[in-house]
Amino acid sequence: MINITSISKEYVMGDNKLLALNNVDVSINEGEFVSIMGSSGSGKSTLMNIIGCLDVPSHGDYFFRDNNISNYSSNKLAELRNKDIGFIFQNFNLLPRLNALENVILPLLYSGKSKKERVELALKALENVGLKDRTHHRPNQLSGGQQQRVSIARAIAGTPKLILADEPTGALDSTTSLEIMKILNDLNKSGITIVLVTHEDDIANYGSRIIKMKDGKILEDIKNVPN
Amino acid sequence: MSLTDLIYLSQKSLRSNILRSVLTSLGIIIGVSSVITMISIGNGARLEVEQQIERFGSNNLILRAQSSNNRGVSMGNNSVNSLTLKDMEALKSEIPAISAIAPNVSLSSQVIANGNNWLTSVTGTTNEQFNISNWKFELGREFLEDELVSGSRVAIIGKTVQKNLFGEDNPIDEVIRINKVPFTVIGLLDAKGGTAWADLDDTIIVPLKTAKQRLVAKKFPGDQIRQMTINVSSSDLLFKTEADIDTVMRKLHKISANGNPDFVIRNYAQFLNARQESSRVMSILLATVAGISLIVGGIGIMNIMLVTVTERTKEIGVCMSVGAKKRDVLLQFLIESLMISLIGGCLGIALGLGVIFGVSEYFNWKMSLDYMSLVLSFVFSSSIGVIFGFYPARKAASLNPIDALRYE
Repeated sequence: MINITSISKEYVMGDNKLLALNNVDVSINEGEFVSIMGSSGSGKSTLMNIIGCLDVPSHGDYFFRDNNISNYSSNKLAELRNKDIGFIFQNFNLLPRLNALENVILPLLYSGKSKKERVELALKALENVGLKDRTHHRPNQLSGGQQQRVSIARAIAGTPKLILADEPTGALDSTTSLEIMKILNDLNKSGITIVLVTHEDDIANYGSRIIKMKDGKILEDIKNVPN
Repeated sequence: MSLTDLIYLSQKSLRSNILRSVLTSLGIIIGVSSVITMISIGNGARLEVEQQIERFGSNNLILRAQSSNNRGVSMGNNSVNSLTLKDMEALKSEIPAISAIAPNVSLSSQVIANGNNWLTSVTGTTNEQFNISNWKFELGREFLEDELVSGSRVAIIGKTVQKNLFGEDNPIDEVIRINKVPFTVIGLLDAKGGTAWADLDDTIIVPLKTAKQRLVAKKFPGDQIRQMTINVSSSDLLFKTEADIDTVMRKLHKISANGNPDFVIRNYAQFLNARQESSRVMSILLATVAGISLIVGGIGIMNIMLVTVTERTKEIGVCMSVGAKKRDVLLQFLIESLMISLIGGCLGIALGLGVIFGVSEYFNWKMSLDYMSLVLSFVFSSSIGVIFGFYPARKAASLNPIDALRYE
């Protein structure tokens, strides 16, 4: 599904060049649950942003489902994010003025689906994360766990192939973290590829594969059997 | 993303900060209300001038006898009636631009009919007067040629006179007594309405000869008359003809070019122009206010939109991460600034209507609202919104998704 060949990412800060990714090769197959681990500054977030088409690499090629998207326009990348990729963030990143249902509908607005279809898809997604009775609550009326579930619903509403989760449990207590990870696990079982970035071992352990990064390079890439 | 969705999202974010939205549109409110008021004042003045011209007849000059200063002693108004029918004939033959002249004499007189009496002004003139002054007949007819020649006792009355003597009854063939002289009513004039100076319908018109013989024989002996209404063939010739009349009259009355004339020429167009000019100055003033406040209002919108874009950078990042294209973000912010300016436009129209209503009620100043000015205000305010909202919107749209998402 994802094929990344010798990708680098440089940041220029004043006179200094910072190499966030240094010649990285990764490929991820459909249906995998990949955990990317590493300390801050290891390049794991940069890698995830590039996989999610939020950022573009300085060098190297990125094939997404056999298409070389390294030279896609920003519009085509936006379309790709809209149709094929769902994001889950550490801080949920819900829009405060919109209620849960409207937040879930947001990506569907950009895909040009009919009003009826949008509401149906969004309600189904909210049902999947167990929030059918909270559709008209605003984010500030929901607990952290509920907010993260809304953002998962938002990520899956457009039926993407790939979900990227950036420290999805970073702002949650351990019980809620468990709930969230269970949802992600179920999504993976339903066939959605998941790439998760974390620095916690027990969270990374949910993955069928663990990639450890350091200083912009892949340190190790091993199969994992979740317990 | 459809327009209704964009509007829905925009009104959500505007409503989350209503006070800010309204304050932002303040410049537009003032600008638009000035535009509306300005146009109304201009229109009102133009309409009033047009109505006056309609009433008095266009292209008319009035030549009137005036007491001259005789060796420093003023002879008093009306004490000398030096204007004669001979002058009229001379003017007619010497100045080709003159298309018609109506001579007249007038007096104020008590009129009795039907057991009522009424003080009104009685004018003796010829049929030319009706044409020149735009008089139309509601009932009856003009004078017949032999009525003019023989000095018949026939009268044509105005609407106000009819009302006071006969009420709503048909006055034709009724007899009225002017200065105890009986006259038969042969015509009723259409109403012209009042002007700033006088009720034009409060009048009685009789043949010139009848008036001179039976009503004002002492005051206007021989062929003397009080004044003449001179119709000029084209408005372009109005001022030239005024000068020509002056020259001819000085020659006829043997007055040197710099001597004191015993006549005066009144030019209504001049008067009306002055009225129009003063409202034009007012309009220019308001247009300046409108222009400045629209620009300041636009800058206000731009300023607030820039703040909004900065405040919502992270939100823009989230939208981009779920698939918003540059175009979607651009449109979203453009529509927000458009909505702010349209809210301003609506409030401005409301304020402008209030001002127009207040001014026309309080000052009795004629103002006319036309729907073009409402359309114009909408066009104005929305283009301000789009023009000044474009830069902030483009700034939002050109954000890099990952930078926007990371913005704290």
